[in-house]
Amino acid sequence: MDFLIQMIASGLSVGAVYALVGLGLNLTFWTTRVLNFGQGSVLMAGAMITAVLVARGCNVFLAVALSLVVSALILWVIEFVGVRPMLRIRGSMGWVVSTLGAGIFLQGSASWLFGTQAVAFPDVLFKSSDTIELLGAYISVQYIAVFVISVVIVGLMELFLRRSTWGYGVRAVAHDRELAALMGIPVRRVVVGSFLVSGLLAGAAGVLVAQVSGTVDPNFGLHLLILSFVATVVGGMGSAVGSLVGGLTLGVIEKLVGGYVSPAAAEMVAFVLLVAVLTIRPQGLFGKADTVKV
Amino acid sequence: MQFFKTKHNFLVLATAALIGAAPSAYAAETIRIGMTSALTGPYNEFGEGNRRAVELAVEQWNARGGINGKKIEIAMLLDDQLNPDRAVQNMRRILDDKSIVGIIGPAGSGPTLAVIDMVQADGRPYMNPIAQTPVITYPDGVGTKPRSNVFSFALQNDVESVAMGQFLAKKFKRIGVIHESTAYGVSGLEYLTASIEKNGGNKPVAVDSYNQGAQDMTAQVARLNRSGVDAIAAIGLGKDLAVLRRTMARLNVTAPLIASNGALGLPYQEGAGELTTGTLGTMIGAFSDPMGKATAAFAEAYKSKYGTDRWWGADPTRPQLFMAISVANGYDAANVLFEGIRRANSTDPKAIISAIESIRDLEGANTTYSFSPERHHGIETEAVKVFEYAREGDAVRLRPVAN
Repeated sequence: MDFLIQMIASGLSVGAVYALVGLGLNLTFWTTRVLNFGQGSVLMAGAMITAVLVARGCNVFLAVALSLVVSALILWVIEFVGVRPMLRIRGSMGWVVSTLGAGIFLQGSASWLFGTQAVAFPDVLFKSSDTIELLGAYISVQYIAVFVISVVIVGLMELFLRRSTWGYGVRAVAHDRELAALMGIPVRRVVVGSFLVSGLLAGAAGVLVAQVSGTVDPNFGLHLLILSFVATVVGGMGSAVGSLVGGLTLGVIEKLVGGYVSPAAAEMVAFVLLVAVLTIRPQGLFGKADTVKV
Repeated sequence: MQFFKTKHNFLVLATAALIGAAPSAYAAETIRIGMTSALTGPYNEFGEGNRRAVELAVEQWNARGGINGKKIEIAMLLDDQLNPDRAVQNMRRILDDKSIVGIIGPAGSGPTLAVIDMVQADGRPYMNPIAQTPVITYPDGVGTKPRSNVFSFALQNDVESVAMGQFLAKKFKRIGVIHESTAYGVSGLEYLTASIEKNGGNKPVAVDSYNQGAQDMTAQVARLNRSGVDAIAAIGLGKDLAVLRRTMARLNVTAPLIASNGALGLPYQEGAGELTTGTLGTMIGAFSDPMGKATAAFAEAYKSKYGTDRWWGADPTRPQLFMAISVANGYDAANVLFEGIRRANSTDPKAIISAIESIRDLEGANTTYSFSPERHHGIETEAVKVFEYAREGDAVRLRPVAN
């Protein structure tokens, strides 16, 4: 029983981070139909900046706040340089290369500025050795903190998207960009806003994951990006609840397979789940099927 | 038209002759060596350390007048980032340059296994500074005939696992092993299991693996814990071992961690933080007290050339133990190669190889080297010890543990 609880707890924790990253991917996808393949490096940037600032004596919370601001600004620059020019050409897929390129550029910059070695990440949220006992199982307080923070952020985002004016704007732009513009919605500002918030989410996810791994290096984030993308597709592109359910499902199944079958088999879970969902329900668990008038 | 054609042919021939002649004329003036290693990228801990070591050795030899009057030159210094494909490309470039006299190889088992067959076919002397898999030197297994031109200065898996296996067999009954999924990790597991059993211990009760760069090892650690292990033995790189140690703490696993040499370096110490205390690890003991004369001389020379940098370690007053496998091994590899060329008084590969095989009791930074036609590796079990991170006042220090 304690084994099962431990697997589920760590699965929920990592799954919540998938959801957080997935929501960031979703936000920019809604407003621009662009998938940001550089998001993994933004996670790295958020974590790396926090680690480096703390190592140089900066207050932990100030370091986290600064890294979140920088992460948001990075996405703003990516939108300005890599996405907006590409979208001017109708049907262009240039953003695949430009967002990927932005990610590689960030990796290279981090290697150049901070070195290629892993940098130790400080204990922002509790210590690795802080645990609580639940039904005979030891559960890390860090896992609980990562889970709670991620779920709260995703929940707030969902509320914000459904209830706030900006949220209406995002949904309107997602539904029909041109019609939204005609209705007087400042599409440009909504798009820039979605990128800024996506950057904040990526930065937060980076800080949370680095807390678990203990170190951050320039290659950090790529694996997480792939799994978060799978979680988003499984949950349904275009749904915040979908991101959350997709992320948690993937995280828990991964850990259960890793624990009960073998850690090597856990590597396959994401892709088996992806193929299964795409075959049975291509729009994902919570996604709406796109209807196209021809 | 005929004139131009003839002239053109002449020019081609003349250029070809010049290109052909150039390296040999150059070779006559200097001893040219080639090196590919992880100079950048996430594993440059080893590659960059080795570059510094080889440059230091070259500088010292040249200061003494070179090898039999000829200066040594690192003619090719290429970066493979520990990537096997890039290592193959680099090695091809090195081997295509016929003026290169000796080669210093990549910083890990993956890229080394990728290049070793082409190196063997070429026949020029090749020094393996770091890659721990024994098949690099002994393709048919330890105790069989070595590759004729390959000499190893690495802490071979089989050698490292002797010290670790003795320690584990003596102290623990239910051993769990976790290893990285690379050639290094898999062969390390085999040798460790054999060593535990040879020393009268029980076969590991649980074995699991992880991929390099894993950010969480909950499943692996929980599985080991469920098997009721009383010790966790680990084979991997420092950064990953830190993730393992943190995961153990999160699951409140109190069994001691006994790890391969990766646990004694900065990436582990930085990643595991205060959890390092109590971790045990195997390492070449050269830089522990008391340091040998050659080791101390090397440390002094390193300090005066590079200062107390990342490779030296956190304590400016003494080098870290990890230097043995990130720097000193490259230094010894270069010195043995140069000593072989000096003894052979020739750049002929066969003559150099025979000269290296004739080396007996040559004091190096890591150990005293003796080679023969059957024995092409330098580090033996007596050079390896088990160390433990112990708290001394405010500091955490590594101290040897009696086997």
